[in-house]
Amino acid sequence: MNNSIIRYVLGQVIRIEGLLLLLPCLTAVYYREPQGWYFLLTAVICMVVGSLLSIRKPKSTVFYLKEGCIATALSWIVLSLLGCLPFYLCGDIPSFTDALFETISGFTTTGASILSNVEALSRCSLFWRSFTHWIGGMGVLVFLMAIIPLSGGSNINLMRAESPGPSVGKLVPKMRSTARILYLIYFGMTIAEIILLLVGNMPLFDSVTTAFGTAGTGGFGIKNDSFMSYSPYLQWVVTIFMALFGINFNAYYFLLFRQFKKAFDLEEVRYYLLIIVGAVAIIFFDILHMTAGVFDALTQSAFQVASIITTTGFSTANFDLWPQTSRTILVLLMFIGACAGSTGGGIKVSRIVMLVKTVFLELHSYIHPKSIRKVKMDGKPVTHEIIRSLNAYFVTFILVFIASVFALSFEGYDLVTNFTAVAATINNIGPGLSLVGPVENFGFFNLFSKYVLMFDMLAGRLELFPLLILFHPTVWKELLTCRRKPKKR
Amino acid sequence: MFKQKKSVKNGLKIIIVGCGKVGATIVQQLSREGHEITIIDKRAERVQEIADMYDIMGIVGNGASYSVQMDAGIQNTDLLIAVTDSDELNLLCCTIAKRVGDCSAIARVRTPDYSHEVGYLRDRLGLAMIINPEMQAASEAARILYLPTALEVNSFAHGQAELIKFKIPEGNTLDGITVSYLGKHITNAVLICAVERGGEVYIPAGDFQLQKDDVISFVAPRKMVREFLDAIGVKTNRVKNTMIIGGGKSAYYLARQLLNVGIDVKIIEINRARCEELSTLLPKAIIINGDGTDEELLKEAGIETAESFVALTGIDEENILLTLHAGHVSQAKVITKINRITFKDVINSLDLGSVIYPRFITSEAIIAYVRAKKNSTSSNIETLYHMFDSRVEAIEFRVDRQSKATGTPLMHLPLKKNLLVSFINRNGRIIIPNGTSTIEVGDTVMIVTTHEGLVDIRDILR
Repeated sequence: MNNSIIRYVLGQVIRIEGLLLLLPCLTAVYYREPQGWYFLLTAVICMVVGSLLSIRKPKSTVFYLKEGCIATALSWIVLSLLGCLPFYLCGDIPSFTDALFETISGFTTTGASILSNVEALSRCSLFWRSFTHWIGGMGVLVFLMAIIPLSGGSNINLMRAESPGPSVGKLVPKMRSTARILYLIYFGMTIAEIILLLVGNMPLFDSVTTAFGTAGTGGFGIKNDSFMSYSPYLQWVVTIFMALFGINFNAYYFLLFRQFKKAFDLEEVRYYLLIIVGAVAIIFFDILHMTAGVFDALTQSAFQVASIITTTGFSTANFDLWPQTSRTILVLLMFIGACAGSTGGGIKVSRIVMLVKTVFLELHSYIHPKSIRKVKMDGKPVTHEIIRSLNAYFVTFILVFIASVFALSFEGYDLVTNFTAVAATINNIGPGLSLVGPVENFGFFNLFSKYVLMFDMLAGRLELFPLLILFHPTVWKELLTCRRKPKKR
Repeated sequence: MFKQKKSVKNGLKIIIVGCGKVGATIVQQLSREGHEITIIDKRAERVQEIADMYDIMGIVGNGASYSVQMDAGIQNTDLLIAVTDSDELNLLCCTIAKRVGDCSAIARVRTPDYSHEVGYLRDRLGLAMIINPEMQAASEAARILYLPTALEVNSFAHGQAELIKFKIPEGNTLDGITVSYLGKHITNAVLICAVERGGEVYIPAGDFQLQKDDVISFVAPRKMVREFLDAIGVKTNRVKNTMIIGGGKSAYYLARQLLNVGIDVKIIEINRARCEELSTLLPKAIIINGDGTDEELLKEAGIETAESFVALTGIDEENILLTLHAGHVSQAKVITKINRITFKDVINSLDLGSVIYPRFITSEAIIAYVRAKKNSTSSNIETLYHMFDSRVEAIEFRVDRQSKATGTPLMHLPLKKNLLVSFINRNGRIIIPNGTSTIEVGDTVMIVTTHEGLVDIRDILR
C-alpha cells in the first residue's frame, strides 16, 4: 500500500484546516473575544503539523480505491480531532468527548448537539461550529482536489470515497475542474442564501451561520430554539434552500451549462421533489388542527419536511409533540435522505428508488421466471455491480444500525430515544424524537454511547465502507508495517 | 467560463471513441499532456477501468450515435479520434462528429480495401488524418529491412533525412572516439543525437566518448546514411529475402512493399482461407499454410538460411518466442511486432533485435497532430517520434514566422539543456548544423530532447 500518499493527503488536509481556522479568528477579532487566541493556536498547530507531513512529496502519486478510502476516513478523523481543540481549550465545551462529539457532528453535517445552552458560546465558537458544516457538506478532499494538483488520474478514488451516492461521475473530464465547478456552485448558492436572509432583516452573523448550516445540510443553530423565533419569510427562505441543497449537484451543473433537458430528466430529483410534496401534504393535514391557521401549518410542515429529508435538522416547532402519523413520516424521511451528489445524508433517494425497483423486478421474475429485465435509472440500465454494492450497502447499513441501537440500550433509555438517536446520527440529521427531540440535546448520554454515536455520524457521512475498511486487519498490518522498498532497476 | 471554446491554454477537448489497446495508449499519452479527454466505448467495464486509471471522463455507448456524442459534449470539442475495431464505424463517427460538432476528426482505417483510397476518403470526408497503424508498422519494418544493421529507422522531412538507431559493435571505428572527433575527421554530414548506455539515455555533447555496445541514434541526409556506415565499416546491404510469420494486415502491407523492391517474401499463415486470399493479393510471394510456431515447419521453410525474419502474428508472446528462436538457429535480422503487452523493461532486456509497436506509432502521429493543433502561431509540428521508451523525443518543427529562435546563430541562442538541433531542412536540402548555422523562416528543424511537451520552436529556448 502506498502509505506516503496517505501521509501527504493527510498533511494537506490538516494544512487546509489550519487555513480555515483563521476565519473564526477573524470573527474573534471583530467581536473582541479572547477565545480567538485558542483558534489561532490551533490554526498554527495545524499548519505546522500539516506542513511537516506534506513537506516531502511522495514518489508515486497513484492511489487505488483502498488508499482513497483510508485517506478519506483518516482525514475526517484527524480533522475532527484537531477541529475540536479550540472548543475544548477555550473552555466553551469543557469536556473533550463533548467537544469531539460537537465537532464530528459539525463536520459530518449532522447537527446533533450536546449543548443545552447554545447562546452561551462565544461568537467565534459559534461561527466555527457552523463553518464545520459548510466544510463537511461538500467534503474536504473535494476541496483539496480543487486547489492542489494531485497528478495521476486515479484521484477519482478519493472523490468516490468522500462523495455521497451509489456511483460517482465526473461533470467534466478533469477531476480538478469537476471539483472546482462543484465548489463554485456550492459557494454561489451559499452567497445567494446569505443575501436573501439579509434582505429579511436577519443580522449578518445569523445569516452567515444559518447559510452555512443550510448549505452543508448540517443543522447547528445559534439559538436555543433553533429556528422558531425567526419570521416566516426567513423560514421559507431556509426551507427552499434546504430543499435546493438536497438536490443532486449535477442538476445545477446542467442548468449552468444550459442543458435544461438533462437537468429535468434526472429521475432521482423528480422522485425527491415528489416525496417532499407528498410528505408536506400529509403532515399539513395532520397538524392543521394544532396550528394557527393554514399558512402556519404549511410553513411548519414544509420547513420540517425539508429539514428532515435533506438531513439538515433545523426545527421551527417541537415536532415531537405532533401527531403519531407526522412523527412517523419524519422518521421515515430520515432514512430516505437527500439526493446522491448533494450535501445531504441518509440512504439517498436514488438508492431507495433502485431498491424499490429491484423489489418490483423480483416480483416480476416470480410471475415470468424466465423473463430478462434490467433495473433502469435515468433511462439507462444499472449495472449488476451497482446493484450488488447497493444491496451490500443496505445490509451493512441495517447491521450497523441495529448494533448501534443495541449498544445504546445499555443505558436504559426508551426505545424511541435510542432508535431515533441512532437514526438521527447515522443519517446525519441531528434531532430525533423523545429525549433527543428538537428542543432537547445529546448531552445526557454517557461516554460510551457518545462514542458509538460519533462512529455512526462518521460512518453515515462517509457511507459506511470507507470507515469500516479501517477496521479490517489487513489494513492495520499494511498501515503499520514499513513499506518494503521497491527493487531498484 | 460557461461558454467554452477558448480552451487552448488548458489543453484541447478531445473525444476518443474506442478503448482498445491503441485507444488506451492515446489516452495515456494525451492525458499526460494535460488535455481534457472523454472516452466513449460500448463496453462498460472497459470504460470504468480506463476512467479509474486516468483523469478523464468515460461514457458508455455507441460513439457514432448522435445522442452519445452530444452527451460527450461534441459541440465544445476540438478533436475526435475514432479508433474502434471497425473502419466503417470509425469513419461514421468522424462524419457525424464533423456535422454535429464542427471539430477536427481522426479515424483509424486499416483494411487493405481502403488503403489506396485513403487520400480520397480523407479529403472527401474532411478528416484531419486517417491513420493506419498496420501500414505504418509495415513501413517501419520495411525501412529496417532495407538497412538491416539498424535497430530502428525513422524518416523525417518527407524522407529526406533519416534517424537511425544502431548498436556499436566491438572493434568498430566508433569505439572509443569522441563525438567532436567524428565530426572533424570522419564526416560532418552525420549528427549523433542520443546515446543509450546501461539503461541511461544521454544527449551527447562534443566531448562525449562513444563505446562499444552503446546504442546510438544518429541523423543524416538519406543519401549519406549508407556512405557513413560504409565508412565506419558496417555492412549496409539490404536483405535479399525475408520470412514473415502471420499473414495479417501488416504482413500484407509489408510483403507488398518488399516485393515492389525485389525482396523475396515467404509468409507462413495458419488459416487456409487467409492463405488463399493472400496468394491472390500477392502473387509473387510464397504463401505457406501451416503453424508458424512449429519448429519443424520453420526448418522446412528454410529459417536457417533466411536473411531476415519478421514475427507479425497477433499474439505478442508468440512473436517474442519466434524471434528468440530465429535468433538462435539463424543469422537472420529479426523484427518483432508487439501489440499489446507493456512489460517494456523485460522486452528491452531480451535480445529481440528490432521491436515495432504499432500502437506507439499511432499515438505518436496523433500527439504530433494534437501538439501542432494546440499551437498554430509561429510553427507547426510535422513529425514526432518517441525514442528510448519515450525518454527522448525527436520533433520536427516547421518554422512559419519570425521569432526569437530565428535568425540568430545557434551558438548564440540560449538553448535548453539536453536539447539538440539535429538538422535543418532548407528547401529540401538537409543541413547538419554547426554553431554558425541559423534557423530561418520556411525551414523545418528537427529537435532531439529529453524535455517533454514541446509545442513550438520557441520552446527550445530557456
